[in-house]
Amino acid sequence: MSDYLLEIKDVSKFFHGLVAIDDLSMKVKKGQIYGIIGPNGAGKTTLFNCITGLYTPEKGEIIWEGKKINGIAPYKIAELGILRTFQTIRLFSEMSVAENIMSGRHIKSNQKWYNGIIHTPSMKKDEKKNWLKVGELMDFFELSKYATTPAGDLSYGLQRRIEMARALAAEPKLLILDEPAAGLNENETIKLAQTIREVRDQGVTILMIEHDMDMVMSLCEYITVINFGAKISEGEPSFVQDDPVVVEAYIGSDEDE
Amino acid sequence: MRQSYKIAIVFLIVMGFFPLFSNSSWLAVGTTFLIYSVVAFSQDIILGRAGAFQMGHALFFGLGAYATAILNVHFGVPIIYTFIPAILIPLIMAIVLAGPIIHLKGDYLLVATIGFNIIFIQVIQNDIFGLTGGPNGIFGIDVVRIFGVEFMSQTAIYYMSFMLLTLTLLIMRNLDASKYGRAMFYINKDDIAAQSMGINVRYYKLYAFALGSAIAGAAGSMFAIQYSAVSPEAFNVVQSIMFFTIVLVGGSASLPGVLIGTFVMFVLPEIFREFATARYLVFGLAMILTMILRPRGIWPVKFGNIPNYLKKDTK
Repeated sequence: MSDYLLEIKDVSKFFHGLVAIDDLSMKVKKGQIYGIIGPNGAGKTTLFNCITGLYTPEKGEIIWEGKKINGIAPYKIAELGILRTFQTIRLFSEMSVAENIMSGRHIKSNQKWYNGIIHTPSMKKDEKKNWLKVGELMDFFELSKYATTPAGDLSYGLQRRIEMARALAAEPKLLILDEPAAGLNENETIKLAQTIREVRDQGVTILMIEHDMDMVMSLCEYITVINFGAKISEGEPSFVQDDPVVVEAYIGSDEDE
Repeated sequence: MRQSYKIAIVFLIVMGFFPLFSNSSWLAVGTTFLIYSVVAFSQDIILGRAGAFQMGHALFFGLGAYATAILNVHFGVPIIYTFIPAILIPLIMAIVLAGPIIHLKGDYLLVATIGFNIIFIQVIQNDIFGLTGGPNGIFGIDVVRIFGVEFMSQTAIYYMSFMLLTLTLLIMRNLDASKYGRAMFYINKDDIAAQSMGINVRYYKLYAFALGSAIAGAAGSMFAIQYSAVSPEAFNVVQSIMFFTIVLVGGSASLPGVLIGTFVMFVLPEIFREFATARYLVFGLAMILTMILRPRGIWPVKFGNIPNYLKKDTK
């Protein structure tokens, strides 16, 4: 098996004949904090949707731990250990914070079909184990006092934290974060960066899209830059930052005007 | 939701003593109320919890009733044994029928399930294989006998229905505190997020259909016992619409809500029988007003049903 946890090989995705992702390749190492940047509409979220099974790429391969996973149903991708958050927060907003995080324990719970009707001692043990794990995560993300509050009633920053806690509840190998700092204030962003580092130190590989350049440059160990669906640059932050192609993509060259 | 269990217990106590204070016609209304509550809860599993717009639920209620009627009248199977096929047949049919259409969203699923219900009514009205008795239905269903004891009095039938509702409430409580019940809610609230958390949407929706239909079948069997007859109009689309409405008016996924919904939609019209058809004007209006003023139902569901040891920091 290769050193890479996730490999994207020449992946293309079209929408009604328009190219959303164009022959994209990248490799994520185990334990890395990997960043994807690019202007709006560059195809970053589309790429995440391909990895997590929401979309099936027309061309190329997505390799997870040496096995091809494109075309696999999203719930099976989660079972493999790839969990994500969403750019537009997708919480179960009427449900409490604890119940939201509990959804992440779904794949870790070993309840049988009849446990929906009849409770057994082993099922109750499983239930308790999972709730305790939810409790741990609420402590880690400082959400405990909102345990019974409907997730939709909370602030943007808290909702982002709940989404991350929910994904981590599934004990992922790879955590995919889609613009985790969007809508956060400066303090919250600093705290988020710290949290992401802590999560990585617990052994979770991180793949993230982010627009906050300060955060990306300080946090990520490797970066791929995408524009119009294609990779235009990749490398360590210091390299990418000064790459003229990247600067041009972001600021725009004179010919554009 | 803890509070709702307390309410359910109080309700069961009240209903447990109800026969002591009622005459025979009210006892009949009470029995049907209990049976319809069971059907309403089974509809709630599919509609209120899993969020699938099932508007053909009377089909599964009817399958249970006809299973009991046909097996007893045509094949001489004792009523008590017909209970099992009356649960299994709707369960299997739910998986067979809902399987191919389970991916349909909202209104599309609704139309498809109405279609199933209409076909079902056509089939039983046409006296298929000479078993269903056509438009008149089937008469002369036997009474329940256990070890030679006949349970034929109205009170006996009332308490059998009461037991069925108690059992259903127990199942609802167990469902709420399980991986399966929660998965239904997650799918209902956001199916994309649910999938991304590893939840197999198709499987849990089918589970809801199967469980809901099995319970509806049990209620159907009880219904056949109460009237010792079955006929098609008790299971047509209008009935399905009523079960659908009960859940929405009462409050999706709310135990007290579904009970209130059944009471409002079924018992109130009986109480105001003297006003004849004028009462339906009031009911139609009440339904409209409920949806405008309380879109989540008269008694909406409250989430946050988590173990106490997680509530340490709250409040």
